Amino acid sequence: MKKSYKRSRKITNGIIYIILTVMAIFWLSPIVWLLIRSFQGEKGAWITTLLPKQWTLSNYTRLFTQTDMFNYPLWFLNTFKIAVFTCIISTLLILMVSYCYSRLRFKSRKAFMNLGLVLGMFPGFMTMIAIYHILKAFGLYQSHISLILVYSSGACLAYFIPKGFFDMLPRSMDEASIIDGATRSQVFWKIIIPMSKPIVVYTALTSFLAPWLDFIFASIIMKDNYDKYTMAVGLFKMLERENLYEYFTRFCAGAVLVSIPITILFICFQGYYVEGVAGGSTKG
Amino acid sequence: MKAKNYHMMSGYQKVIYHLSLFFKNLPHNLKKFFKILGKAIACFFIRIVEGFANFGRTFSEGNKFTKLSFLIMGLSCLIYGPFWMGLSFFLIEILFILFIKEFAILYLVDLTTLGTQAEVETFNEAKGIMEYITADNSMLILLYSVLSLVVICIFIIAYIQSTKECLNAQHRHEREEQAQSFKMMLRSLKDENYHITLLSIPTLLLICFTVIPLIFMILLAFTNYDANHQPPGNLFTWVGFGNFKDIFGKNAIKSYTFLYLLQWDLIWSFFATFLNYILGMILAMMINKKGIRGKKIWRTIFVITIAVPQFVTLLLMSKILGDNGTVNLILERFGLQTIPFLTDGHTARIVIIIVNLWVGIPYTMLITSGILMNIPSELYESAKIDGANAAVSFFKITLPYVLFVTTPYLITQFVGNFNNFNVIYLLTGGGPQSTVLYQAGETDLLVTWLYKLTINYQDYNLASVIGILVFVVSASLSLIVFNMSSSVKNEEQFQ
Amino acid sequence: MKKFVAVFLTTLLVTTALFAGGAKESNSSTQNTKPVDMMEKETVNLKVWGSIDAQDLLKEMVESFKQEYPEKEYNIEFGIVSEADAKARYLEDPEAAADVFFFANDQLKDMVKAGALYQIAGSYKEKVIAQNGEGSVESATVDNKLYAFPETADNGYFMYYDKSVISSEDAKSLDSILAACKESNKKFYFDLSNSWYVASFFFGAGCSLGIDENGKQTCNFNNADGLSAANAIKELTASPYFMGGDQSVLTGGMGDSLAAGVCGTWVANAMKEKLGDNYAATKLPTFTRDGEQVQLGSFAGYKLCGVSKVTKSPVDAMKLAQWFTNEQNQLLRFEKRGIGPSNIKVAAMDEVLKTPELAALAQQSLYAVSQNDVLGTFWGPVEAFGANMEAFNYEPSIQAQLDDVVSQITN
Repeated sequence: MKKSYKRSRKITNGIIYIILTVMAIFWLSPIVWLLIRSFQGEKGAWITTLLPKQWTLSNYTRLFTQTDMFNYPLWFLNTFKIAVFTCIISTLLILMVSYCYSRLRFKSRKAFMNLGLVLGMFPGFMTMIAIYHILKAFGLYQSHISLILVYSSGACLAYFIPKGFFDMLPRSMDEASIIDGATRSQVFWKIIIPMSKPIVVYTALTSFLAPWLDFIFASIIMKDNYDKYTMAVGLFKMLERENLYEYFTRFCAGAVLVSIPITILFICFQGYYVEGVAGGSTKG
Repeated sequence: MKAKNYHMMSGYQKVIYHLSLFFKNLPHNLKKFFKILGKAIACFFIRIVEGFANFGRTFSEGNKFTKLSFLIMGLSCLIYGPFWMGLSFFLIEILFILFIKEFAILYLVDLTTLGTQAEVETFNEAKGIMEYITADNSMLILLYSVLSLVVICIFIIAYIQSTKECLNAQHRHEREEQAQSFKMMLRSLKDENYHITLLSIPTLLLICFTVIPLIFMILLAFTNYDANHQPPGNLFTWVGFGNFKDIFGKNAIKSYTFLYLLQWDLIWSFFATFLNYILGMILAMMINKKGIRGKKIWRTIFVITIAVPQFVTLLLMSKILGDNGTVNLILERFGLQTIPFLTDGHTARIVIIIVNLWVGIPYTMLITSGILMNIPSELYESAKIDGANAAVSFFKITLPYVLFVTTPYLITQFVGNFNNFNVIYLLTGGGPQSTVLYQAGETDLLVTWLYKLTINYQDYNLASVIGILVFVVSASLSLIVFNMSSSVKNEEQFQ
Repeated sequence: MKKFVAVFLTTLLVTTALFAGGAKESNSSTQNTKPVDMMEKETVNLKVWGSIDAQDLLKEMVESFKQEYPEKEYNIEFGIVSEADAKARYLEDPEAAADVFFFANDQLKDMVKAGALYQIAGSYKEKVIAQNGEGSVESATVDNKLYAFPETADNGYFMYYDKSVISSEDAKSLDSILAACKESNKKFYFDLSNSWYVASFFFGAGCSLGIDENGKQTCNFNNADGLSAANAIKELTASPYFMGGDQSVLTGGMGDSLAAGVCGTWVANAMKEKLGDNYAATKLPTFTRDGEQVQLGSFAGYKLCGVSKVTKSPVDAMKLAQWFTNEQNQLLRFEKRGIGPSNIKVAAMDEVLKTPELAALAQQSLYAVSQNDVLGTFWGPVEAFGANMEAFNYEPSIQAQLDDVVSQITN
């Protein structure tokens, strides 16, 4: 009896291993394809053979040497700069807003929350054109500050998951310290934040990544100013019809290089990410 | 089924029970929702009326300085204290006047017509070129008018507040009380008024970059801003509800396109949300199963696909699955028929949903593995004693547990998918184009259609109408489900 | 004391209000009387948009421009916006757009309508008319008003082929090309899910496009001629030796799996690289229409150089645009990039006439239809039809599909 149980468990585990392997192959193959293409010697997006006939490293080196048109290293720096500032500002804002909704009770709190929920649901594209002209009226036209501002302002509506996380923290602690005479600001900075490492890391990670991934808004703001581009816009430009033949393999190389730091970040902070999002999304 | 038996039900029955409850209560909840909505709107107007009533009372109760404060904001505060408050009100007034004179008035005068000055062209002999007097720019008139109106609204609030504070200052003076000092105000901002400190910057950002653009967008829906009325060369103007009528039947092809895409949009969001969810959860369970080795490695493999930026992977997918892409190349090598993955309407729809699985499953895997670890293991043990096999315990315990715990997440996912721009735009660009749809393809969602209409065809008015309709659908969907799920959740106790 | 405060603040308020009202006028008057410093060279800032391949050449031309007009200090900035995207990018924000930019002539009408282009008049106009081919001038004209400087006359398409597979005799008809492809197991490339290319069948069969008095597109692709063209398209797409797909398919596969393909001059260098000695180009082949051979038509397009209507220095922008498109620079463009000139003198030069791809284009131009009368609504529906044919999607019937296409275009 016990033996057959063990055997059936072995069989199920075996099946699971097979399924996982097959899935892993499916999931990884596009990425392997990207890697192969980044070493392809022939130009163009379309080749008649499965594997390239010539292999080369020049796609990578040219990203850093041929910079007069597409300045990859500069884009990298731009994006990094924007990402760092966005990360700091929007993490602060999100945590402030979430704490406020989770712990503070004030008039029209519910109204504010519902309004935030509703505002987040308008499709953003129409507003982008208006945002562009507002930024222009403020004199922030084609600048990195404008991107930081807009990314951070969008973040103010993303209080949902952090608020859920804060809701789960025991209230007894901060109530006790308020009775002891601590201000609410002290409670936030000295008690809540130190207890919320997973959600802090989660928000920081997602807001750090946003500038690396957004291509549509950045391209509307930056237009033809290539030197101000972020990574995503620049890479996207490489795939435009007239650049495709010349730049496709370099696009692949560039994409591989961008993915490396993001992958490392993700793998390092995976645990926090899971804890943060799982904690936050379970409580509405 | 009666609620009192609830605790004796198995997990599966609980799900059925809740589903039936959900649909049974649907009309009721809808009614409730609209009642609440109506109440909120009524409340809003009552508040405004109350505000004016208060306003009148303030005037009649005030002494001469307080009465004069209606003209010079914060005067009573300046005289009776707190001085800082009076000064800031006064400065607000000065700034506001400057703003109106220097900026707002230039645009507000044209708000009703959106500009009348058309372009004038003359030939300049000396320079040998034409010269132009530029036309009014209707778009900027509208945008800056909205900006001005928002500032005016904020000012009105500040104005009413100032009259109140002035009366308070007067009363305090009459009772010979001490006014709140600047220091006390600062301290209260750290404590009982901490929410003002926390929310002020986000609110300001939201007003600038979300609220004003939104009002602008909504107003565009009532204009004729399209390819034939484009600034700077042309003026556009108000047309009332004409664009809405077009979508709702007056213009056959536009309304057909709208309904067609709405239907696909709903189908898509349903599959994209629930398939991802369930398959992601199964993947998480497989990885987390006892006895499976290398959990970390498995998880990392799938996480890598999240880390590669989505626009890269999706563009790659479109290249791999294209008519002459790698997959078809392989098929051809083996002498098989090639498949029009992205160029046949029906196939493309299925392919998009499948590719979206590739994108979405790792996310759900990450999220659900956190939740799965929290399921009390007693539940499984008792199920095992009852002789339940893996499938049964999945449907009876895991699925209901996770489903109920993550309802809010699911709703946001559903709305997110309803407006999922990236997957469609990068994978098919909405294609294949259709001969019966207005400037849209078979796989276009409403958002990508909207995007195409603005960027490629400059039909801003139509796009705004669609934007508003998309909003109405997603907002009412989520508000209703939110209200219902919270009521369900209160009685739902798994632990 | 209290009264004093009240009175003081009231005066302050009133003066602010008055001052604010007056300030604007005095501002504008100082702007008008800004003294011009004659000692220093005037600095002119201009921005130029061109496609990515044109950037080096544009920089070279700007250098010579600066030498030609040394009396001003020119500060010229470059942006990369292709001729195809110019309209869309320009209209996003005209003030942020270039002063001088290049675009394809099918965008002209829409751009004029949107008030984007600076009308060209006086001696500039006379020069353009005198120096450029009639078709190119016409392509830049709306209601007898000239709106752009013609730059090139090669925005059309023709056929490239592999001499070792297809003989020049075979290249004359579609049927013999497909037969030759069958023999060598290679394919014939024609991007039929692109409305620009697929239209060639309809033009070949005798259909036409136009613009009615209300400024709407007219189109008769759904008549009997159109149906016969559509059937020919259906037949071609059904052939196992046909290959569709975007341009990268042609540039990647020519010589390997492709024996011939339809495209424009911009892939000429890639084609030469791939085919080497076997490189050849000619006009489009004939196709079988109800049993008889009919020549495929095509679009003839021009690339134009326009000046933005909101430019701050129209005189200089005008000069620069003229410079970019004059005889000397059209010749330079031909020499450096092999682009077909619109200038009459350059077009008549021997080297130009001998270039295979330009010769092919010239042959095809006899059967070409001007792109002037094509509005933005044309492209989407026709693309949809082509895609349906490529996907073997014959439901609803071809006639019904054509009816839908036409009703959309003329909507």
